[in-house]
Amino acid sequence: MIENILEAFTQPFMQRALITGLFIGVLLAALGVFVLIKKMAFFGDGVAHASLAGIAIGLLAGIEPLYIAIIYAVAIALAMYWLEKRSRLSSDAVIGIFFTASLALGVLLLSFQQSYQPDLISFLFGNILSVTTTEAIMIVLISLAALISLVLLWRRLSLLVFDNVQAQLQGFKVQALSIFLYVVMAIAIVLGVKLIGVILVSALLIIPPATSKLWARSFRGLIRGSIILVLVIVFFGLLISYGLDLPSGAVIVLVGFLIFIFTLLFKSFLKTQN
Amino acid sequence: MEAAISTKNVEISYDSRPVVSGVSFEIMPGSITMIIGPNGSGKTTLLKALAGLLPFSGEINLFGKRQPGAPARLGYVPQRFSFDRSIPITVQEFLSLSSPRCFTDQCIHQKLYQDVGVAKIFTKPVSDLSGGQLQRVLIARALLEEPQILLLDEPASGIDIEGQNAIHKVLRDITREKKTTVVMISHEFNIVNHLADQVLCLNRELVCQGRPAEALTPEVIKKLYGEHRTIYAHPHD
Repeated sequence: MIENILEAFTQPFMQRALITGLFIGVLLAALGVFVLIKKMAFFGDGVAHASLAGIAIGLLAGIEPLYIAIIYAVAIALAMYWLEKRSRLSSDAVIGIFFTASLALGVLLLSFQQSYQPDLISFLFGNILSVTTTEAIMIVLISLAALISLVLLWRRLSLLVFDNVQAQLQGFKVQALSIFLYVVMAIAIVLGVKLIGVILVSALLIIPPATSKLWARSFRGLIRGSIILVLVIVFFGLLISYGLDLPSGAVIVLVGFLIFIFTLLFKSFLKTQN
Repeated sequence: MEAAISTKNVEISYDSRPVVSGVSFEIMPGSITMIIGPNGSGKTTLLKALAGLLPFSGEINLFGKRQPGAPARLGYVPQRFSFDRSIPITVQEFLSLSSPRCFTDQCIHQKLYQDVGVAKIFTKPVSDLSGGQLQRVLIARALLEEPQILLLDEPASGIDIEGQNAIHKVLRDITREKKTTVVMISHEFNIVNHLADQVLCLNRELVCQGRPAEALTPEVIKKLYGEHRTIYAHPHD
């Protein structure tokens, strides 16, 4: 059994998948804590779906789709932020409008390509096992930069999401911090699209912190739990998908879901015992 | 002596509807000022404008510097603090977000926590706190960075009598020892008479200002709360 596991990770494509998966996973899980507190889950979903238009533009223009998708997703995230502040529309309405329009644009643009369906499927559901060395280096470097900036701004961002008014009174540049959070989230989500696809990426943003919240008694515990969970989810998700020859993105999400359900049931069981 | 807070003809509107108009007053450093008035009279709105949290026309100066953007250290306790109580965060972690000097157990603010009554609940999750305990935590947080001006919006609501007395003592102490200027909204005339150096009566515009004993006349009370309202003395207080 252990030999089989070790054998799986001797394959270069599995090593690349594991390393990129763990970096992206940790970034998404850390951002997920803010998503949980600010109730922004729909934002993650919206940006992920909207990024399909960026991917399509990249494919048609013959430029690396991931770069264009990052630029497009950041632009969409900023547009959502601006519209939320400037209009009387609720944030879910704004996200809904941008996400459906961008998704439609993405499908339309992809339809101009000959045999567009394989590309569409690959971006909708991701294919982490196909990550090249160049892509892996790029993803790891961007994730690392985002993680370092999150660590440096952690207290400010935490206060921002917990209590915007107090953050203003402390002289924090609230608008700049909010925009930073939106931009980092958009970048992380697009990187995650490569891992598990447009449709499933927000699962890594939501499931680890939501599961951790079931147990945590402190904010530190919530963050630690969220990061440990995402490492477990990505590692076992990849391993199972390799062993059973199943789509990696779907397996990663289902492993996360099963851990969430098991934690929920176990917590309820303990409650009834007490 | 330079005023801690001075306002000139302040007007605040929501959607072009004036909520506070023509308000001018001065508050001296190290004093306790209470704002009173009926519901919807603009008390919270005025307090938020003083904190630089709302746009206004006219002039608000803190120690001679124009708001918004005045560099004075401000503490603010809101009337209601709404956040998802199910998020796991301990009192210590919550406070340390506002004061990084408090990340360890050897927190430099121990005396303050004892005085305000949060020392015993320091390691508790915020979700386990009662309304009164949360209010104490918010007051402690507002005092962490030793504010020059402390703005409190009905801070004692939900706190038992013993807790209220402890908080009033802390307020008196900081005005005396640290010359903190306190501005507080209250509905309780009893507290106004006991605690305030100055009272501001607000009913969209300033109805009275001055020492409570002199400013709170029966005519002012009627102007604020309508006919058939008066203050009854409680000799046992």
